Amino acid sequence: MAARGHVQDPNDRRLRPIYDYLDNGNNKMAIQQADKLLKKHKDLHCAKVLKAIGLQRTGKQDEAFTLAQEVATLEPTDDNSLQALTILYREMHRPELVTKLYEAAVKKVPLSEEYHSHLFMAYARVGEYKKMQQAGMALYKIVPKNPYYFWSVMSLVMQAISAQDEKLAQTMYLPLAERMVEKMVREEKIEAEAEVQLYFMILERLGKCVEALDVIRGPLGEKLTSELQSRENKCMMLYQRLQRWPECNSLAHKLLLKNPDDWQFYPCYFDSLFHLMDDSWTPPEEGEHCVEGSVHYTVAEVVRFVEERIKGEDSKESRPLRGPYLARLELIHRLREKGCPEESQLGEPLELMLQFFGKFGDKPCCITDLKLYLHLLSPDQHIQFINRLGEAVPLGEGGEEGFAFPEDTKALQRHLCVCQLSRALGLHHALDTDGKLRLITELKAHYHHGLQFGKTSLKTELQFSDMYCLMAAHVYIDLWKENGESNMVLQCLGLLQEGLSHSPSNAQFKLLLLLLYCHLGAFEPVVDLYSSLDAKHVQHDTIGYLLTRYAESLGQFAAASQSCNFSLRFFHSNQKDTSEYIIQAYKYGAFEKIPEFIALRSRLNQSLHFAQVRTERMLLDLFLEADIVLSLEESVKAMGLSPEEDDIPWDSIRDNRDLTVFTSWDPKDRHLTEEHRRLSLEEESVWLRIRSLTLRLLASLALLGHTPSQQNSEMANENGLDQTLQTAAQIAEKHTQYPFLGPPSTRLAPALSSGSCQCQVAALQLSVHLQELETLGLDESSELQTQICNGFKSLVVQLQEILNKCKGDLLEMKDSRLKTWPSLLEIHVFFVETVCIVFWMASYCAKVLRPLKASLQKKKKKKKDTNTPAVVCGFQEFTGSLQELLAQALEHIKGQETGMTALKLASFTLEGHTQEGSFIKAAMDKVQSSYLRSLQEVGDLLKKRAETLKNLKI
Amino acid sequence: MMTTLRAFTCDDLFKFNNMVSLIPVCQYGIPFYLQYLAHWPEYFIVAEAPGGELMGYIMGKAEGSVAREEWHGHVTALSVAPEFRRLGLAAKLMEMLEEISERKGGFFVDLFVRVSNQVAVNMYKQLGYSVYRTVIEYYSASNGEPDEDAYDMRKALSRDTEKKSIIPLPHPVRPEDIE
Repeated sequence: MAARGHVQDPNDRRLRPIYDYLDNGNNKMAIQQADKLLKKHKDLHCAKVLKAIGLQRTGKQDEAFTLAQEVATLEPTDDNSLQALTILYREMHRPELVTKLYEAAVKKVPLSEEYHSHLFMAYARVGEYKKMQQAGMALYKIVPKNPYYFWSVMSLVMQAISAQDEKLAQTMYLPLAERMVEKMVREEKIEAEAEVQLYFMILERLGKCVEALDVIRGPLGEKLTSELQSRENKCMMLYQRLQRWPECNSLAHKLLLKNPDDWQFYPCYFDSLFHLMDDSWTPPEEGEHCVEGSVHYTVAEVVRFVEERIKGEDSKESRPLRGPYLARLELIHRLREKGCPEESQLGEPLELMLQFFGKFGDKPCCITDLKLYLHLLSPDQHIQFINRLGEAVPLGEGGEEGFAFPEDTKALQRHLCVCQLSRALGLHHALDTDGKLRLITELKAHYHHGLQFGKTSLKTELQFSDMYCLMAAHVYIDLWKENGESNMVLQCLGLLQEGLSHSPSNAQFKLLLLLLYCHLGAFEPVVDLYSSLDAKHVQHDTIGYLLTRYAESLGQFAAASQSCNFSLRFFHSNQKDTSEYIIQAYKYGAFEKIPEFIALRSRLNQSLHFAQVRTERMLLDLFLEADIVLSLEESVKAMGLSPEEDDIPWDSIRDNRDLTVFTSWDPKDRHLTEEHRRLSLEEESVWLRIRSLTLRLLASLALLGHTPSQQNSEMANENGLDQTLQTAAQIAEKHTQYPFLGPPSTRLAPALSSGSCQCQVAALQLSVHLQELETLGLDESSELQTQICNGFKSLVVQLQEILNKCKGDLLEMKDSRLKTWPSLLEIHVFFVETVCIVFWMASYCAKVLRPLKASLQKKKKKKKDTNTPAVVCGFQEFTGSLQELLAQALEHIKGQETGMTALKLASFTLEGHTQEGSFIKAAMDKVQSSYLRSLQEVGDLLKKRAETLKNLKI
Repeated sequence: MMTTLRAFTCDDLFKFNNMVSLIPVCQYGIPFYLQYLAHWPEYFIVAEAPGGELMGYIMGKAEGSVAREEWHGHVTALSVAPEFRRLGLAAKLMEMLEEISERKGGFFVDLFVRVSNQVAVNMYKQLGYSVYRTVIEYYSASNGEPDEDAYDMRKALSRDTEKKSIIPLPHPVRPEDIE
């Protein structure tokens, strides 16, 4: 933990047992030992700090902090105390205190390299770039080592990057950084590669590409040796930025000569050709074409170059590389785009793609490669193409069902590739229902046949034929979406469950199962599926939406909280994680990584999903606990929720979702488009805004009457909510349909159509009138009272309407097939959420009315007036209606539960006792069990709410 | 192979889904990746397909004492997505790591592999690696699997002219004995 090597120092010897206790997690003993030591040696400050660490780790934060500050105010300069305090502050998440500590230390020991360096790192941890710049220079003055100087330069670059004002960056920070480096260059003091790298970064950010090029191509550039091809890559980037097409072209083909498979240089090479043609570039009459050498400035030369690369591959003994063959297709694609007739010199795309398939059809990536160029075929060639591919697949004798199967895995891969290509050409989609069913039978037969090749595979390996299974599942989904026949989706579930049993680590099976269960309204099986995906770190951000979109809306509140927690834990650790590595990057001179780490940190902090789980987690806590476990007010306070504070970075929100996580071979016109992405983000943002405003309005409701500013923020939030609802309605009217494997729709549309949004807003708005009533009193407010009473009545009507929409069976059995109504389930959840909000409003209402009524009773005694005020009657009527509503709802849920339990899934006999049948049966059981659980959770919450009715007596 | 080979960046973490956990390979927390990026960025290379898909990556480091002729390149992770297997990508990435280690003046490149992972062991043998020693119970138990031994496999670089670094040790070692 601290310097423990110096046995000479008696203090070290005395402290050692405390360190050991702390290291072993024995905090109590550490505290005791420290106390013992402090009795004898009052001035042994470090013992105090170590005691504070023990206290901190046993949850006594306040005591720990007080003790630490006792030592800190003494401005210690001994290593032990400083290091121990650093550890303590870090554990307290107070890194800014470390800077204060070392600021004091360097004042007292101004020549200490160590303390100055700690100070620099302490600033780095909190991102104080200006102070880092100064600390770096101070260090360099004490010990003139290059790294210190360049730490200071890098801190200038960071000031430029973080500057709000780009002009300041371009005219002050970066030029200053440039001059600092130039000084070292002039004095020939440049030593390390990192220093050249930093120089390059500065020039690049200044847009000084010519200067940067000189550095890279000059003697300083020779220091760039760690990264492979570092100089060439940088030159290429600069040539492109400078639009030096001759150099671009020349360097690209030189690099392609060296490695004809390095894809990144083909696009550079082709692009440069077209630019040269556009510029009508001709070479100089004598000498080199350009500094990089010869230039290919005609289509003919480029075509020849590509053809030569292919010849090179054709004549090779070892396995050919794909690059040149694909480059030819890429060139055709580009020539066609440009309208160049030379395209035909390269050959007929259909033949070339057949040739490619001949060479690489047995590689799993053949589909990934070829699908990029399918548009080169004309639609009337599609069937011919697939037929000719089919001829190139060696299959054995036809079996019983008339299907011929591959005899080894290479043939299997080829056959699979043809299936994938047919799907990508839309040929599957063009089939009628019978055709699709036949296709499914064929794919399943191939799947089962192919399992023999993987009999000996490890559990962690995928089966060779897994993709057939996945594709058959996709065709089932096509049928389901077309005909709405739930039989198809059940068959699909059964098939995927079977697939998973043969290939337990196939993530695509798990993902698709997860999605299908969610679409059916069954979240329970999803929990295990997701956890078996073993999602780690960033994946909570990129695919976490699959969980959080459905858990709550399908009425599985416990799982919903847990899903949010998975994600939140990851996001919260991110801040700490990144600053540690920013510091390491300084130490090791990985300067180009520093802005990258910081960008990573903000990308995560600004994540849409992060904002969503933050908001939903708090809403969930309120729905589940407020006024049940703690009062709404206590809950809001415990969350530190403030009505005024909107912590969502609306303008810079990042959509980090991986929306292409599902494997798909759909044709291009069914792909997820940029427009889909945009619409999905828009929809998500509006829904998030509604939820976040609801949350903050609830906070206002809880804190009403506490601060005067409350009312203003409440008004602002209500206006915001009104406007957002209008936008929301417009978005919902668009009825955007995303591809099935793309982003899920939000809860927005059903929230509006069920009326729950409107009812929640109405409830929240009622609180404004209640405040007015509080000021006016009961005597002078008959009009307002009528208005409030009407509000009560309207809420009851609205709730009743939502409840009416819940009616109907959630599960049905038709022809021994389970049919699910997930949208009904979602309305149940909207109902219960809305009930919560209405109840909180009612509880606030009771709080307002009680004192008013009490004072009235006092008056009454004097005046003998017997009329009960309208609002009191209205409220009593209101709570009576709420009670009835809840009773009705609970009755309905009970009825559903009984009906559902009675459904005889066992009577399902279509496939008899086949294996397939048993997988379908298992899937149906899971769906049924999940629905029962959802109903139970919804019912439990309603019951708990019903119990709070007694608190509404006035 | 037809690939763009480039330095790994933090944004790649967001595109990892087809590769990292969705196939069962070792995977690490963000700190682990950042540590390598901060210290040995040149040793962290990613391969990208023309359509932008991540095909695979290699992550390594340089370590060991120069004086004791133990300065070497180490392969920490090598991963290729299932659909990009059987293209020789792993061999290409290994070749790059060896080249970087050559330039740093390493004596050899080494890596650890599960004794049971015959496919990988054979691949490394084909690439010129040989078993230098067995490390007992190097992989601790997880998911119900017991502890497992590792082979420490090595390939000499040109600086080790007499190939002293790869002479196999006669006895297995324990994890605490390796540096």
